[in-house]
Amino acid sequence: MPQATYLEAIRQGLWEEMESDPTVFCIGEDIGVYGGAFKVTDGFVHHFGPQRVIDTPIAESAIVGAAFGAALTGMRPVAEFQFMDFIGCAFNQIVNMVAKSHYRWGAPAPLVLRGPCGGGVHGGPFHSQNPEMHFVHTPGMKVVAPATPSDAKGLIKSAIRDNNPVLFLEHKFLYRRIKEEVPENGYAVPIGKARVHRQGRNLSIITYAAMVHTAQEAADALAKEGIEVEILDLRTLFPLDREAITQTVKKTNKVILLHEDTRTGGLAGELAAIINEEAFDDLDGPIVRITALDTPVPFSPPLEHFFLPKVEDVVREAKKLHAY
Amino acid sequence: MPTKSKSQKASGTKSAAPKSLAKISANGARNGRPSAKSAGVRTNEYGIPDWRLEQPEFEIVEISSGPEVHYEIKGKLSAPVPPIRESKYLNRNQHLELYRWMLMNRRMEVALENLYKQSKVVGGVYFGLGQEACSCASACALGPEDWFAPMIRNQGAQLVRGFHARDIMMQYMAKADSPTKGKDGTSHYGDIEKRQMVSPISMLGDLLPVMAGVSLGARLQGKELACLTWIGDGGQSTGVSYEGINFAAVRKLGLVLIIESNLWAYSTPTEYQVAVKDLANRAIGYGIPGVIIDGTDACQVYDATYEAVERAHRGEGPTLIEAKLMRMKGHAIHDAAAYVPKEMHEYWRKRDCIDRFRKYLFDKKWLTQAEDERLSAEVDKEIDAERAVAEASPMPEPHTAAEGVYCEDGCHEVRPKYGIRQKARRSEGKLKETEAAIHFK
Repeated sequence: MPQATYLEAIRQGLWEEMESDPTVFCIGEDIGVYGGAFKVTDGFVHHFGPQRVIDTPIAESAIVGAAFGAALTGMRPVAEFQFMDFIGCAFNQIVNMVAKSHYRWGAPAPLVLRGPCGGGVHGGPFHSQNPEMHFVHTPGMKVVAPATPSDAKGLIKSAIRDNNPVLFLEHKFLYRRIKEEVPENGYAVPIGKARVHRQGRNLSIITYAAMVHTAQEAADALAKEGIEVEILDLRTLFPLDREAITQTVKKTNKVILLHEDTRTGGLAGELAAIINEEAFDDLDGPIVRITALDTPVPFSPPLEHFFLPKVEDVVREAKKLHAY
Repeated sequence: MPTKSKSQKASGTKSAAPKSLAKISANGARNGRPSAKSAGVRTNEYGIPDWRLEQPEFEIVEISSGPEVHYEIKGKLSAPVPPIRESKYLNRNQHLELYRWMLMNRRMEVALENLYKQSKVVGGVYFGLGQEACSCASACALGPEDWFAPMIRNQGAQLVRGFHARDIMMQYMAKADSPTKGKDGTSHYGDIEKRQMVSPISMLGDLLPVMAGVSLGARLQGKELACLTWIGDGGQSTGVSYEGINFAAVRKLGLVLIIESNLWAYSTPTEYQVAVKDLANRAIGYGIPGVIIDGTDACQVYDATYEAVERAHRGEGPTLIEAKLMRMKGHAIHDAAAYVPKEMHEYWRKRDCIDRFRKYLFDKKWLTQAEDERLSAEVDKEIDAERAVAEASPMPEPHTAAEGVYCEDGCHEVRPKYGIRQKARRSEGKLKETEAAIHFK
């Protein structure tokens, strides 16, 4: 299998779906001749033509609204947010028009809303956010956040093929930082299934997106001290894989919930509630949360470093929990 | 469809208007703009064609000198009621068909009011009283494959496009057999399969980019369709309205937008909504054609919509139609609209769209008093029958509240409605890795 970066894997998935299904088209800002701010659609317009790679005005509600309208005619639009921070501009269109359409009037909305999220690149308060919880909390939406190139490719394909609106969160820190062997054509990763990223027996870290790699680094360090950490990569944030979450807690009996999103109202709270409901008797220690601070994402590197969860935070908390 | 013959006739109204007639008579329409050159059509100070046969001059002012702040109307309210402008496209039968839809629209809303008074409605009722011409005549101007997205006061359009009065009644009564099975109320329903109606949501303006997108989706399947929606003078204040019209304009999509300038946005007069005298002027800013019509004149509504629909079918882009009229009831049934100056009500009551159209038909000798009475009785009978069906529907089973959030297990098949006919790609090349610089590393 050839190697691909996270960015190339997404490009491959999108390209292959556009090749095999003529109802798939891309719509967004600067995605055509320019190829997108992060080059996900670089070269697409020359191959698929401007009808299928559509540059729009700077108008996020129009992008989502138009994608939804086209979806009503049986198309499968893939709408790009140049940065996921701008999804707030289209909030009403997503939450009230798109997400409720199947429930209210039985109209499926097979569209993908994709784009880069996350910090670590000194993008500041408006180019670093993780907006997943607004949409995890919106019935009707599915939310996907891959951590590896293979999952990114497999999940963008599933997102496009899904008959429901899927928010596809690409972590921009990972775009060109990670590379692995990625399967070629004809494979997809199912939505709603978590993946055990690393096997372990002493404690579990449940996480997703870029924090999978932070957890991995911490786990490598902890292994040297004899603490075997299991990492569960959620991959899909809604619907959550309750079974996988329960299974890992039942296996290690201790759990750390780790995310880059801010703390209050973050996914960790929901995960803790699920563990409480499904595996309370299996816990041998308190559920630990490691998250970003409850602040906007700060710009200056030392501030952003302080804001984000770090490998040393995970190592410290894991040792404490292991000793509990 | 409920009344098959009717809906066929309705969609037939457009095709029945001979294409050659359209070309000959619509001087202005030949270059893709609403007719301005026909005799008697004036333009406003910005060059926007104004088809109205009267240009009333009055404004609402806020009076805060007395004990209570209130609105008064200043201007000339004594002008005689203008005649109906002759339609360039409607034939005799189409006039009569349209008249029947308007009657049906009004009688259905009377029935809704009665259901409310009998406590059979869940929540409120919204009326389009005074706006029936705007709802019905515009919907009649659509072709059979065109799409529409009604707002709360366009219940008549739903009837024209093939829904039953019972559908709307059951929506208001939150019944199990309502189009949304009790999941939503009012005109918040739709049908993408047969009647091409997009469900509105309560937030205003969001339908505009959606209808642009429907036109885009159809175009990607090789079809140029008209996608009609309405908005109020209040609703068009939203930012998403601008986004939607602008996107449609840039991509020359088939959006047909009727701004119903009905003078009151809930309780706020237009004067506090916009600073422009004619909202159609905004068409200039969007780079699209605009036209002002009398929204109480069914012929003007039909003709303006017809030309906009034709323009959409030619792939030439959106049209903005400003229909001037007044909302003749409160925002919803709970609202007595006491903030509206009485004289204003009187002025517009004399311009009632149905009364004027009836008189026009009488004057043309296309309808007699006896025929009108017979028609009216037929409509009442139909509404009564619809009401009986609606009332007999059960309430939904409580557990169904948990169903249908997601499209799963094959509940719907997603397929291109019109089929893809275009080439999927321009070249046979393979994906090349990108090495271009990216925004943030």
